[in-house]
Amino acid sequence: MNEGQDWVYSDIVKDHFLHPRNYLMGDESKFKYDAMGIVGNPICGDQMKMYIVVEDGKIKDIRWKTYGCASAIASTSALSELAKGKTLDEAVAISAKDIDEFLGNLPKHKFHCSILGHDALREAVDNYKKKVGTENG
Amino acid sequence: MTYLDYAATAPMLPEVMEAMHEAERKFFANASALHTPGHLAMNEIEETRTLLAELIGAEPEEIIFTSGSSEANNTVIRTFEGHRIETSPLEHHSIFVAAEKYAGEKLPKLFSVMLANNETGDILDLKKVVDAAREIPAPKEDELFAAKSDFGKDLVTDRRGGYVHSDLTQALGKIPVNVKELGLDYATFSAHKIGGPVGVGALYVKKGVPFKPLIIGGNQEKKRRSGTYNTVGIIGFKAALKKMRDDKTWEKYERDVRKLRDALAKRILDEIPGSSLNTDIKRGKSLPNILNASFQAAEGESIQLYLDAEGVIVSTGSACAAGDIKPSHVLMAKTNDAEVAHSSIRFSFGLDNTEKDVAKVMNVLPGIIDRLQKISTIKMEAK
Repeated sequence: MNEGQDWVYSDIVKDHFLHPRNYLMGDESKFKYDAMGIVGNPICGDQMKMYIVVEDGKIKDIRWKTYGCASAIASTSALSELAKGKTLDEAVAISAKDIDEFLGNLPKHKFHCSILGHDALREAVDNYKKKVGTENG
Repeated sequence: MTYLDYAATAPMLPEVMEAMHEAERKFFANASALHTPGHLAMNEIEETRTLLAELIGAEPEEIIFTSGSSEANNTVIRTFEGHRIETSPLEHHSIFVAAEKYAGEKLPKLFSVMLANNETGDILDLKKVVDAAREIPAPKEDELFAAKSDFGKDLVTDRRGGYVHSDLTQALGKIPVNVKELGLDYATFSAHKIGGPVGVGALYVKKGVPFKPLIIGGNQEKKRRSGTYNTVGIIGFKAALKKMRDDKTWEKYERDVRKLRDALAKRILDEIPGSSLNTDIKRGKSLPNILNASFQAAEGESIQLYLDAEGVIVSTGSACAAGDIKPSHVLMAKTNDAEVAHSSIRFSFGLDNTEKDVAKVMNVLPGIIDRLQKISTIKMEAK
């Protein structure tokens, strides 16, 4: 895996780990989001939260929090980039494979435990739809 | 680079490199051969055997060279295949996994307990284990006792109901070890943890106790371990042992390295919110060079790799670190808290480390932990 590189992960993973995009620092109430989704469990070593701001049916802004290993941080960061600007339908269609391809592939044993963020995003979108449904109903 | 992963592998000592380079030219011959170059190579091996024996309080013929600690550990476990084996999840996998696979119900029973733990550095009370082994009466007859020497003499003269093995890999050179004073029947050693080469280890087997070779077919090591002698590697081991003896490294560890380890422990606790120690740093309770700490809400591998990016090299017992998705079995056994185990880092010092290395760690670690805690899904508990 990644022969010839000086790091255990691909350069894209390294970049997203060392310079994560769209993370939410500190108190989550500082960010005015429309909905949030959560996945994973600290006992298993990985947990992710996705916070979305929706405007005209699109994800206008997105933030995340992660407790997890380097590939978990990188994969959540990558997902936030993939999801930004997408319609809600496009956002829920993002799969673990899409994130893995975007990152230039994680080591196999990392795939299942580190790429969970899309489930948190789907939950966030679900929560948003429920909330809007309730408000409109 | 600030290297704080000595417990994984110590960098090779310059004396060892020099001795091995010379040995590659001078002692290339097969040490089992009767010709002069072979005989000279064998002399080097026997010198190493005598030196190790002196340093651990054994007789030279009680030392068997192996390819490392895992082989030595496996050899002892396989000797007791089908027998009762008592060990714990705190042990290295080469003991723990092998014991799970090969233990049975027969007596005599083997106890295998390491003196100093790999991940936390904690020192265990071997006396209790030795006493427990002594209390078991010897079975009258057992196939383990049945082996005869070529002259029809019994090979197993020390017949007991319980025998004790200890993996002394981490302890060697860091604290004084004497296999007789510890009351051990078997003990494991490795060269690369003391600045020697990887691929060389040794097994102490007390005279008269049961023994079954793991690798058979050749006559090396009095038929106790077959395979062409790794002369160059064993000569490297000798150079590392000489340095250990001449420098009395265990005194330097106690005097100098302990100061660095304790200073780091204090600064971590004082300066990093949510930090806790998994090593008991009181005198005599742990090796002076290992510090295992956990950082609430920050995951171990991420801490390790952010430190790596800053040139600080440590290890983690956390999830996935070595291709394993479970957190450290040692920290789970010790803390019974998966979150603490997932959030742990091991700092292990060597004789080359200085106060500058502690300063370097504390220059970058608080910021790394702070950022990980701030982006973490786990909320920090208010103190």
